[in-house]
Amino acid sequence: MFEQLFLILPMAIVVMGAFVLLLLSKTFSLDKLNLVAVFFLSLSFIIEILRFGTTTVCYSFPEIFGKMYIIDDFSILFDLMFTAGAILTLLINTAYFKSRNYYNGEYFALILFSVFGMMILAHSNELVTAFIALEIASLSVFALVGYHKYNKVSSEAMMKYMILGSMTGAFFILGTAFIYGAVGSTNLEDIAAYVNVPAEKDLVLVLIGGIFIMVTILFKMGAVPFHSWVVDVYQGAPFPVTMFMASTFKIALFAIALRLSLIDFASLNIVWSEILQVITVLTLIGGSFLAITQKSIKRMLAGSSVVHSGYMLIAYSSIGLGSDMAAPAIMFYLISYFLSAAGAFGILSFIATGSKKMMTYEDFKGFSERRPYLSAMMAIFMLSLSGFPSTIGFLGKFYIFTSAIESGQILLAGLGIVTAFISVYYYFKLIAMMYFYPSTDQQKKFPFDFSGLLIGVMAMMVIWGGVGTSLIPFIPGANGLIDIAKQAIDSLQNVL
Amino acid sequence: MDPILTYIIFLPMLTAALLGLTRASLPLLRLGTVLSSLLVFVLVMFVSMDFDPDGGMQFLRIVPWIAHYGITYYVGVDGLSLVLLILIAFLMPLLYLYMWKERRKGYWYNMMMLQTGVTGAVLSLDLILFYLFWETMLLPIFVMIGRYGNGMHQFNAMKIVLMTVLGSMSMLFSILYLGYDLFKQNGWWSFALSDLSMLQLNPQTTIWLAGGFLLAFAIKIPLVGFHTWMAPAYSSAPTPAVVILSAIMAKLGIYGLWRFGYGLFEQTLSYYAPFMMILAIIGLLYYAVHAIMEQNLRRMFAYSSGSHLSLIALGVFLTNVYAWGGSLYFIATHALSSAGIFIMIGLLYKRVKSVTIDELSGIASVAPRFAFFFVFFALSIAGLPGTGGFVAELLIIIGAFKVNVWIGVLTATTMLSSMLYIFWMLQRTIFGPPSMRTQIFVDLNSRELAMLIPIVLLLLITGIVPSLFIPLFEPYVTTALQDLMMTIGAK
Repeated sequence: MFEQLFLILPMAIVVMGAFVLLLLSKTFSLDKLNLVAVFFLSLSFIIEILRFGTTTVCYSFPEIFGKMYIIDDFSILFDLMFTAGAILTLLINTAYFKSRNYYNGEYFALILFSVFGMMILAHSNELVTAFIALEIASLSVFALVGYHKYNKVSSEAMMKYMILGSMTGAFFILGTAFIYGAVGSTNLEDIAAYVNVPAEKDLVLVLIGGIFIMVTILFKMGAVPFHSWVVDVYQGAPFPVTMFMASTFKIALFAIALRLSLIDFASLNIVWSEILQVITVLTLIGGSFLAITQKSIKRMLAGSSVVHSGYMLIAYSSIGLGSDMAAPAIMFYLISYFLSAAGAFGILSFIATGSKKMMTYEDFKGFSERRPYLSAMMAIFMLSLSGFPSTIGFLGKFYIFTSAIESGQILLAGLGIVTAFISVYYYFKLIAMMYFYPSTDQQKKFPFDFSGLLIGVMAMMVIWGGVGTSLIPFIPGANGLIDIAKQAIDSLQNVL
Repeated sequence: MDPILTYIIFLPMLTAALLGLTRASLPLLRLGTVLSSLLVFVLVMFVSMDFDPDGGMQFLRIVPWIAHYGITYYVGVDGLSLVLLILIAFLMPLLYLYMWKERRKGYWYNMMMLQTGVTGAVLSLDLILFYLFWETMLLPIFVMIGRYGNGMHQFNAMKIVLMTVLGSMSMLFSILYLGYDLFKQNGWWSFALSDLSMLQLNPQTTIWLAGGFLLAFAIKIPLVGFHTWMAPAYSSAPTPAVVILSAIMAKLGIYGLWRFGYGLFEQTLSYYAPFMMILAIIGLLYYAVHAIMEQNLRRMFAYSSGSHLSLIALGVFLTNVYAWGGSLYFIATHALSSAGIFIMIGLLYKRVKSVTIDELSGIASVAPRFAFFFVFFALSIAGLPGTGGFVAELLIIIGAFKVNVWIGVLTATTMLSSMLYIFWMLQRTIFGPPSMRTQIFVDLNSRELAMLIPIVLLLLITGIVPSLFIPLFEPYVTTALQDLMMTIGAK
């Protein structure tokens, strides 16, 4: 009994934290609420980090819930990223809350609810649970996007995202219904058993259902042609929320997508892969166009996040085509994208705290003279996002492209390299703006604060993840991270 | 398993990181930079003393890096890389002497990062490691042109980065494919040059793969058609960056062609060789004509250096012992003389704030010491007998005649054309009556003499007693050529 409870403890802590925050929201100040939220998240994070690699695959309360709720290294690694993402979002933006008047206590509760939803999503071993989890997370994010409710852009972004998001969410439940109609169960293992056993079965319903589910997932990832919301929503949302969405919420979708394609539809990947290849090509090209034309950094990062989805889709469409490294490559890329994007958005919102400007390329002119350290970190994150070697982003792309070549998708890998080349332009443009123009205001500042320190640690991790050796134990570098990713994926495949 | 090469590679970067994090003051920064570069020079001297010319790859160090893909930290030195290694270690302290009065700290940091980048690229024997350094060395150049350059420096910095990255991305694709092919054939991953060169490849695919590498090197050298970044970058880069660009980074293109091109695709390159030779010969003539027409000294010597690099590339593709020996020797001597002439142009710009030929005249009558060094380096570029360039050019031309008389004739025009633009330029800038700008012209001071004299001496020694240096890399050239002939003959 207690063992079973201990299994769901990290989730329980997060959701309890959310309720506590709701209760305290009128009495505590924003600073204290922030700390309370961080406290609950870190507690959960610590439990998960102790548990990673030591648990075997098991289910929580299998006699009550069936096998809805699975605990394996795969989901624990995702939990770690979600909680870390939320902690970073909260800590880096401590100053931002105070500089805007529209924040109140519910904000922190919403973040925690959304993390809770994502955690359940990573653990769900059943389609209806996954849908509910996805909706918990999405609804919280909808509310967060429109948090600046007197701002037209923010409200517009929220409406756009909510209407489109709910509609595509409906596809998920429709797909689930189709699959249930064919299989008679929504449990992933039952579906896998049904699909994998070669017999005279009609797979049409399962295929259609799978495609519907894929639509939802692709929409939330921002893959072309479901990308029309991305730039506007990222632009309209307050900075901390954009950071949370880009770094954390984006990852959550890959939790369910990977689980589905590695367990559920593993034998149908051949059928998907053609559809996915087309979408990948569209996403890479469309995303590049989206990113290269933007003037605002926030919109550029939003557009480029579509391209990054495209890179991951390269590996995703290679799953099951002959490379056993495709799935670990996605996991590694998620970690690398998480670090770099959270860092880049973190710096943006950190800067936005002080002023209302600092949004376009032009505003970054001479930034390196005003804030040398911060611009060095920004440069590191940009290099990592563009896949420059000696950063973690390069290794992420290296794994993705190698696994694609290994699966015979040579043209797709080639296209990936071409888009990586295009991305050099719009990322380096920011570096050029920061370093190549004189500052209008000559004063150098080296303020020391906790948010800056955190961003610095992330920049170090980006470098260490790119060059790190096993010289220093306990801190996984370039080599250790891919082992972790592989271990997580292996835990997933042990189920069958 | 000797760690000395690792120290040579990473010492400048570690110094930069240490000084940067402690926010060192300018004198301390300068001291640290110079000390680190001198230390590197001493270490390189140790390496070249212990170096055994007949020993092939030496001072190896292999440390596993990314185990799953068999990527290793794999460095070593042989006759080819030793030449470049000594060049880098020799030029760096002199460049620091040149920028002694430089007050912008970023300059110093970038130079240190650059040294690590180029040294790493020369020494690495694992393709992923090579790619890492190959890209990393671009970053300081990007920052130095964009931040400290002149003219349209922001645009030109972006241009050089985009063009070089295009090349290196195509190289990356080829590297990944090679690694995968090795895995498919043998069942294990590796990106080490020694493993990949064993690979038996499908001839159709290799043409594509070799093309990927060739594009990267052709842009870096730059061969004609891939050269549009060259003149703008040379004219807007600050002097130390120009010196590195022409003396070292362009040579790295040749080095890559040699080490990785001939290491991996001997046969395919013989398929490409006629086309590349035509490109190189066109480049040779085209750049020379451009150099004759050019008014801006920096751009003129950019084209002159392009012309000579085409000559070196031609020598590499001629694949005989004279041409290869000559090319390798020319890499060293041209690096010295182009470093010298670009330093002189930098000094000139510091004094008169102009590098346009029309505005300069009669320097010899105001500043005789300056004029002497300027003339010396300019003539050494033109291949003055007595300097190393003459020996090297002669060897390449002999090699060309061995292959084909007409190629030989065309190659020999390089001597002629370079005489043409060098002498005409000297006549207009150094001699004649002083112009408005050159009337007040401060002659070289002792610091400047201290940095120029070593280059002059080395150029003279390489020209008068080439037998002192040729044994260092001659065994490399002969064994490499023997291997090449065997593989081509065997197939």
